[in-house]
Amino acid sequence: MQNALGLMGEQYILFGIMLALGFAGIAAMFFALFTPGRWKVPYSMEVIFALVIAAVTFGGALVSQATVDDYWSDVPNIEELAKVSGKVAIDVDADAFDKVVTAYLYQWGFIFINPDGSATRNALAVKPGERVLVHVTANDVIHGFQIPAVGLTTEVDPKAVRSTWFRAPSKPGKYLIQCMDYCGIGHHQMKAWLVVEGEEKDEGEHG
Amino acid sequence: MSSDYQYHKSLNWEPEDLFSKYSFTQLITTSDARLLGLKGMLLALIMLAIGGAMAMTMRVELMEPGIQFIGPKPYINAVTLHGLIMVLAYSVPFATAALYFILPTTLGLDGIKSPWAAHMSFLTLILGGVLLFISRPDFTWSFYAPLSLRVAGDIVWMAHIAIILVGISEFLGGIPLLRTALAWKKKTGGRWIDMPLSGWGALTGGLFLLLSAPMLSLVGFIMLTDYLEISAIFEPARGGDALTFLFMSWFYGHPAVYLPLVPLIAVLYHMLPRLLGRNLWSHMSGVIAFSALFLVGFGVWVHHFQPNFTVHSLLNFFFQFMTMLIIVPSSLHVFNWVASMWQGRISHETRATIPFKFIAGAVFMIIVGGVNGYLNGNIAVDTDFIHNTYWLPAHFHAMFLGFIGMMSMAVFYSIYPFVTGRMFNQTLANLHFWLWLPGIFSQVMLMFWLGLTYHPRWVVDYLPLPEWVTGQFWLSIAGFVNGLGFLIFVINILVSARWGKAVTGDPWPVPDTSMADQAVVQPAE
Repeated sequence: MQNALGLMGEQYILFGIMLALGFAGIAAMFFALFTPGRWKVPYSMEVIFALVIAAVTFGGALVSQATVDDYWSDVPNIEELAKVSGKVAIDVDADAFDKVVTAYLYQWGFIFINPDGSATRNALAVKPGERVLVHVTANDVIHGFQIPAVGLTTEVDPKAVRSTWFRAPSKPGKYLIQCMDYCGIGHHQMKAWLVVEGEEKDEGEHG
Repeated sequence: MSSDYQYHKSLNWEPEDLFSKYSFTQLITTSDARLLGLKGMLLALIMLAIGGAMAMTMRVELMEPGIQFIGPKPYINAVTLHGLIMVLAYSVPFATAALYFILPTTLGLDGIKSPWAAHMSFLTLILGGVLLFISRPDFTWSFYAPLSLRVAGDIVWMAHIAIILVGISEFLGGIPLLRTALAWKKKTGGRWIDMPLSGWGALTGGLFLLLSAPMLSLVGFIMLTDYLEISAIFEPARGGDALTFLFMSWFYGHPAVYLPLVPLIAVLYHMLPRLLGRNLWSHMSGVIAFSALFLVGFGVWVHHFQPNFTVHSLLNFFFQFMTMLIIVPSSLHVFNWVASMWQGRISHETRATIPFKFIAGAVFMIIVGGVNGYLNGNIAVDTDFIHNTYWLPAHFHAMFLGFIGMMSMAVFYSIYPFVTGRMFNQTLANLHFWLWLPGIFSQVMLMFWLGLTYHPRWVVDYLPLPEWVTGQFWLSIAGFVNGLGFLIFVINILVSARWGKAVTGDPWPVPDTSMADQAVVQPAE
């Protein structure tokens, strides 16, 4: 998945199906309520209805799975991740990502640790259009890691490492990073910033 | 045939004032199914008032960004109590109690089986509720470990015991439902598929309660022993694993949403033919939908923390597919209701009836809230903007407030004349409905909008982004509209119990439209 700016991707079609189902249901109900009813719906119609819904469901699950598989295929495998836990020594193909960072979530803030050991608090600096791999980890309670601008949520339970990657927005600026799981009284303050700096990168570089 | 309109028409109680007929002690202690149901529903409505007060407090605080009225600690107390009360102390008890009320009549039995279990369930719930209020937990209604082992001060163990008691209460509450459904089989010796749909609701609802509630007690028990440092199953700092908690607690937590849903669907199947004045579209379709919902409903719980990194991706796919598949049995129910309404004329009398209006509102809201289950189960979209944004509360408020709230009002308004002997004020009841329908709908829509803009849940304060500020402001207004509707409901039922118009005979007279059907019916086969 070359452009992980949100996992929504092809799911827009599912969003449309959802809206269509909802509007059809509401319309049918309004017709039934406010127009004089006429006939008894044949039973075969419900069978067709159920089969259509089941087919749409299976198709939707396949589309979603394809998107997710595509996304995860870019993330290093589990064995490598097991070695990472807590440490910053990450063995990742240097070509795959422009930046690799460990995000350490605690009550109530974020620390971003670079591979060279330097760290920033509540701010992650990236270049426009960069592919960034984040190893998300927490030590106290369950936290969530979400960057709305790139449409990505990761939930992390204590002591686990969940890897996630995203493509930084191409427009320089400050983007919100927030905790998505209730993690104590300061949950609402647990925010950080994704700082996209510098010149916009050439689109062709990352294909 | 059990979905026969004539059969439902005959199911009528005589309007009478049960409150003056029995003493308070009798009301509490008698095993009469109607009184058991009534006291369960009244307790649930008191809980609804308390949970609603919590909601109003939250809405006042969230009206503007920043912290104005209450700090983070009281805010999260309110959030926690609102969630726990509305799910465990209002929705589930109300739905089971409503089914206790109607079951003996619809199944043609003398009363419900094992009334002792219903009594014990009621008492255990009160005990659990009191402990919960004293401990004032602040770990949200999903009480994720290890957070729930560490916060809420020195008396958090009371909240753990309360969780154990609620699990016991729900287990006990399921016994009469299942046993009464089985008693129908024993008494009539009929085929299972001929059982009235209220019986099918009792059967599957009872099984849901009996199979899922023990897990809640177990989770509460392990939380208690973890807190007392006897064990360390959920506590990662001492070798436990938070994932164990997630797997265990959602095994209860997902079927838990069907605990109030299934009994109220069953009640709807009972009320709809009665109010429409003709047969239900299909009895068999309802039987299939109840069974399928039960079978699929136990195989979806991992979607609450998907994608799960410790299981094979095929298993993630399985849970995702099962979650989306839930829409099939649920939409079979809705199809049946809409087809029943479509089948013939809806008389003016029916349309003007308050319970019918609330039923229509409930069906409308279950469509609104139900279709987005198609999107929610989807791992890709879930990872984008659904997980723990306002989209999620939007979905379950459409279901809990929209369907279960509206249906419980339909139930309460329709049994009101039977238990007080008086009719409620129609104008006030209409006002209640016309405040709730737009109120709930706009509340849910605004929550969806906030979810699409990635507004996080469980926050006392939020960034002053224009879309969040506008959304939260109007969300608060919609919340107050719902609160006002509930206030009108309370005033109405209290005042009308004393000064309402006395009724005798059938309080819901609707013309028989089944004959009219035959005149216009054009078989499409």
